[in-house]
Amino acid sequence: MVCKTWIDRFSSYFVIFCSVIIFAQSDVPRPRGVSLSKASLYLPTKDFTCFDGTATIPFSYVNDDYCDCFDGSDEPGTSACINGVFHCTNAGHRPQNLPSSRVNDGVCDCCDGTDEYANPTACTNICEELGKEARAEAQRVAELHKAGSQLRIDLIEKGNKKRNEMAEQLTQLEKDKSEAEKIKAEKELLKNDLEMKENEVLKVYREAEELEKQKKLDQEKETNLKESTEHFNRFDSNNDGELSIDEIKVVNVFDRNKDGQVDDDEVKMFLGGDEKVDKDAFLSTTWPILKPLLMMEQGMFKPEDAKTDTTETEAEENHEELDADFEGNEEDNSDLDLQEEHEEDETVSEQSKSYNDETQKIVDQASEARRQYTDAERTVREIESNIRNIKQNLEKDYGLEQEFASLDGDCFEYEDKEYVYKLCMFQKVTQKSKNGGMEVGLGNWGEWAGPENNKYSVMKYTNGIACWNGPSRTTTVNVNCDLETKITSVTEPFRCEYKMELSTPAACDDSSTSQEHTSHDEL
Amino acid sequence: MKVWALVLVAAFVIIGISAVDKNKFKTCSQSGFCKRLRPFKPEKSQYSLNLDSILVHGNVLSAEVVTIDAADEKRTVLWKYAFKLSALADGTFRVELDEADPLYPRYRTQLALDGEPKADGLKLISKDDGKVILVNTQGHKVIITSEPLKLEFLDQNGEVAVVLNENSQLLVEPLRARREKVEDEDGDGANQLDDEEGTWSETFQSHHDSKPRGNEAVSLDVVFPDADHVYGIPEHTDGLALKTTTSGDPYRLYNLDVFEYILDSRMAIYGSVPVMYAHGPKRTVGVFWHNSAETWIDVVNYGEGNVVSSLVNLVTGGQKKRVDARFLSESGIVDMFVLMGSTPGDAFRQYTALTGTTPLPPKFSLGYHQCRWNYMDEADVRSVDENFDVHDIPMDSIWLDIEYTNKKMYFTWDVVKFPHPAEMVANLTAKGRKMVVIVDPHIKREPGYFLHEDATELGYYVKDRDGKDYEGWCWPGSSSYPDFFNPVVSRYYSDRYRFENFPGTSKDVHLWNDMNEPSVFNGPEVTMPKDCRHYKPPQDGLEGLAAYWEHRHVHNEYGLWNLRATNTGLLDRADGVYRPFLLTRAVFAGTQRYSAVWTGDNTAEWSFLAASVPMCLSLAIAGNSFCGSDVGGFFKYPEAELMTRWYQAAAFQPFFRAHSHIETKRREPWLYPAATTALIRDANRKRYALLDFWYTLFYEHTVDGLPVMRPLFQHYPDEPATYPIDDQYLLGDALLVKPVTTAGASSVEVYLPGDGPWYDVDTYVPHKGPRITQPVTISKIPVYQRGGTIVPRRERVRRSSALMADDPFTLVVALDANNSARGSLYIDDGETYEYKNNKYIYAKIEFGPDEMTYTLASEGAQYPTGAWLERVVVAGIRAAPRSARLQQDGRQTALQMTLHKGNDVLVLRKPAASMARPWTITFAY
Repeated sequence: MVCKTWIDRFSSYFVIFCSVIIFAQSDVPRPRGVSLSKASLYLPTKDFTCFDGTATIPFSYVNDDYCDCFDGSDEPGTSACINGVFHCTNAGHRPQNLPSSRVNDGVCDCCDGTDEYANPTACTNICEELGKEARAEAQRVAELHKAGSQLRIDLIEKGNKKRNEMAEQLTQLEKDKSEAEKIKAEKELLKNDLEMKENEVLKVYREAEELEKQKKLDQEKETNLKESTEHFNRFDSNNDGELSIDEIKVVNVFDRNKDGQVDDDEVKMFLGGDEKVDKDAFLSTTWPILKPLLMMEQGMFKPEDAKTDTTETEAEENHEELDADFEGNEEDNSDLDLQEEHEEDETVSEQSKSYNDETQKIVDQASEARRQYTDAERTVREIESNIRNIKQNLEKDYGLEQEFASLDGDCFEYEDKEYVYKLCMFQKVTQKSKNGGMEVGLGNWGEWAGPENNKYSVMKYTNGIACWNGPSRTTTVNVNCDLETKITSVTEPFRCEYKMELSTPAACDDSSTSQEHTSHDEL
Repeated sequence: MKVWALVLVAAFVIIGISAVDKNKFKTCSQSGFCKRLRPFKPEKSQYSLNLDSILVHGNVLSAEVVTIDAADEKRTVLWKYAFKLSALADGTFRVELDEADPLYPRYRTQLALDGEPKADGLKLISKDDGKVILVNTQGHKVIITSEPLKLEFLDQNGEVAVVLNENSQLLVEPLRARREKVEDEDGDGANQLDDEEGTWSETFQSHHDSKPRGNEAVSLDVVFPDADHVYGIPEHTDGLALKTTTSGDPYRLYNLDVFEYILDSRMAIYGSVPVMYAHGPKRTVGVFWHNSAETWIDVVNYGEGNVVSSLVNLVTGGQKKRVDARFLSESGIVDMFVLMGSTPGDAFRQYTALTGTTPLPPKFSLGYHQCRWNYMDEADVRSVDENFDVHDIPMDSIWLDIEYTNKKMYFTWDVVKFPHPAEMVANLTAKGRKMVVIVDPHIKREPGYFLHEDATELGYYVKDRDGKDYEGWCWPGSSSYPDFFNPVVSRYYSDRYRFENFPGTSKDVHLWNDMNEPSVFNGPEVTMPKDCRHYKPPQDGLEGLAAYWEHRHVHNEYGLWNLRATNTGLLDRADGVYRPFLLTRAVFAGTQRYSAVWTGDNTAEWSFLAASVPMCLSLAIAGNSFCGSDVGGFFKYPEAELMTRWYQAAAFQPFFRAHSHIETKRREPWLYPAATTALIRDANRKRYALLDFWYTLFYEHTVDGLPVMRPLFQHYPDEPATYPIDDQYLLGDALLVKPVTTAGASSVEVYLPGDGPWYDVDTYVPHKGPRITQPVTISKIPVYQRGGTIVPRRERVRRSSALMADDPFTLVVALDANNSARGSLYIDDGETYEYKNNKYIYAKIEFGPDEMTYTLASEGAQYPTGAWLERVVVAGIRAAPRSARLQQDGRQTALQMTLHKGNDVLVLRKPAASMARPWTITFAY
């Protein structure tokens, strides 16, 4: 960077300075480190102009191991420019462009060793060997792809078949759905009709019931007052019509936490923060807290019916409190809740109560209609869910030619030292410790995530179980061509980001291998 | 076991959600002796020196000191002490006070000093009026007042520079035998003697300290007249200049593994270096409190606004400037070195003369280090290595944290993840890179583990209070700790580093000793109990309590013993041919002789980036120049801007290493957006361009003992504005660095000391101080070169420092007002000790209007470097020469020059002189 800036500043005019230009040993004479395609830009007979046009220098300054051009173009064969590029021909193998920092640094980077010309013995030319290996490997891959692409055709066929089947299924289901909806509508009409009738005949019974309930409530109030007064009188040992702290402290039942003494907190709780309570205050403040405690102590000895009685009262009291709470905030909700509760109440009472024959018949008919309606409704829901599933699958991207479709749902396992990994295609990835423990989700099917020209080479499974103190787990599956579908490795290169190598004939696309061949331009 | 370790990590992280758990660590009032003695400040000291007992022999005055009961008219002597004052070379004195006849020997710190200090002459001038006056060969006088005992040290102008026991806080608690328990009449068996509570045992949380020797604390106060500030006593997080401690706790020195330590705190952390400097316009002086026990230091700076002015007048008698300090340690003897200065550089040098300098590091270690807890396997290491080349970012070493081992058993490898360590290392060294692996001092108690079996069988572990092998909890689970104090154990441990004993390592595998405070997860304050027993050389007549040292005596020194054993091992494994690199977390006086240090487990926050500067500056003036902080922050994740600024700051700090916690997101440079990766690449390249400048500074440090990273006041001691500055610093005397440590910065304020000019190293634009506003973009690192200096650079970027060996130099000449400048350059092979056989070049470079010379300054020293002079850049040139000629080896070459008039920069194109031999460039006008 620094180098660049000052060159920028000082490249104005230069005096000729002698230097030797070394030419690469190749048919076309060109300065060291220059590719054939750029050879024409370096003409020994003319001054050299930097590629970016910022300066013109004597040709002797080219490759003189001093950086004159801002863009590094005057030093293709040395390490002088920070941004220079060194080209090695690598006859017999692929040519290479290296950053100029690799030139004469003691490391053999080009297989022909030309990057280390300062020390000619440092590197041997191994391009022939490497080229041979590379060609053999290319051959192997090509053959693999050829064989694999046959299997891939089968997969495509299977995939298409599967999709066709699904499409047919979908048509059938759509038909079934409209049938079922028709039935549902009929049943609903029937149900509404019968329920109206039912409502009418039950009206009488309900009014009677209401009356009974009110009576019971009054009774309870009375009993409660009686009990409260009784207890008040019992605790009010000096009969002054008020309960004081001292009076409370000697009564065991006030020792709520059972630590053997009635402490200040307990006193405060029972007396509502006052020093003493009179009869009325006792009834409103102390008694409601005290009564359940008393019951807990005596519960076992109380007659059965009395017990249920009190429980009901309590439940109702609670209910009232709830109502009060709801009124302010969530009126809508509370209305709904209450309606539902009432309905339930009715059903309970209907079943337990006996009606005359006529009424009973109507009630039974209504119940039957309700049951049939519910069944019809469920059938519709089931069909809809099936449709959704199939649609979802049909929308899934199974590759250019549906080559991955038949693999949907297939699961493959891979074991390493500590874990068993499972990939269920287009569903999810999991990991399970060999020492037992829960299965951990490493991601659910997300999307294809390969590069633009090769989208179907990478699968992404996202939103797995969150890491402790970290992100959700994700898995990237690299899909490679081979004759068998299997997982060949699993790693966790970054925390909670897993990497899987999957080989499958579905990835043996002949068209993708042809891309590789085109890159051998200069051979 | 691994699971357990993880559970522990989990527990720690949960605790640490809101940073450090302060309850784990003692406050002064929870530390028995601090609570007992912090208020100790009698009106009159009980200590007095017996003038009749004075004996001056060579450089030493010895005398008897006694304590006298002031309330008693008969002047009953309470206790007798042995007093020693020694004059040492280079303006240094040493004051020692021990019991004359202690019940058991008291501990004297063993490893801090770099050998016996050199003696100076000491002359008795007078002895009358209850005063003794002495003088050393440099004219520093010492006035000893006998009763109460007081020592005044005078500078060469005859002014009082340092006073000891002015505040009567000198104290050596005599050792006493514990009396037998007496059944008192109530029969409850309590020890009802005159002992205060806590004398014979202390409890902190659930940890019981048996204190078998009872109380044995020592204390001494120091007064620094005329001082504006005191500095030093690292390692703390509260800034370079120390603050008054009257509210809150004193500064604490006790090596501790503090999980998620906090900033602006006087709490103890990993390191303890008890050296303090006092500076004002009149002089710089220092004191070194030679003690390895838990230490608390109070500071009162009367110049600070918050010290009540009436108190100032009362104490200082109207004198405005004065700083008092008081050192209080749990055990040992009073052993205080007084450094007479008189400049900051003098005082810093006097300290390194006592405790040693950092030896010349292998050159790679000044490059960039890539670390993480953890690179998980060989493939991971390979991929990180390759990515640095893909992104063309220079890097010199990859580090392996604890996960490379077989179940945290050091000196072994996880054979599944790291089956071929030698190949992995070879893959790195092929590109000139190195590997650094961690070896912690805790040893896994695992049957079949050779180290554990040997140590158990041979009794090599530190013992608990009952004499059994001490067992603590650390990364491997149940662990024990080698007792390095036993030379046999240290020797054994050193041998573990031999290549044959640690397969897979080679001379290119360097070391990292972490957790050596020592860290013990389940111990008191996460360290070893104080009543653990350490080895003491057997001696006739010493039995029982006298036959061993307690951990309390040696605690701060433990890490140093660990490092010394490792260092010996690393030297021996390569037959003394190759220089080792070693990194430590625990620090004590003398650590610099063996190891680089880093500021431990910091956090990815801007404030921690900012704190890295004062923390390393404090360590640097305390001898530890080779300092850095985890780039990016250890805990949490640094977003792109913070990460960029951290790389930029650290590229200009001595130890440059990225590191991160295993639970954090990966953060290698290429995992950020491309623009950030490019900025990180730039920062690293700036580091590598200056690598030879760094290397030269480290070489000069071995010669002059001065810090590499320097506070501004070191070179501008007469400019009070520089005294409190700790957010910018100097590298050598040439570069001034002001890192950007805030988010979204568009400019920074820079203080430019002296007359200037200071040249912006990116633009060569000269600036005059004292204050400028420097606009900054995200790519800007504010660095300035002082006019009058020459800085060597290498502009070619390579993959690692080793590959730069023969690359050419650019010399950047920044002219002063006289159109001249000077600099230096050190060159050697970068990795061996051959420089000690004169295989090196130390060149002085001088520039004047008529000529520029490159001369070899060390007679007889030669090194056949292939490096050559690529260009000379002269900044601030007013009258450009007409021509320039290079002369080398009797040949003359005309040089081509380019003058850039816009900013007065002259460039000499490709002189191509060899840097192996002297040369001259002459200018004609």
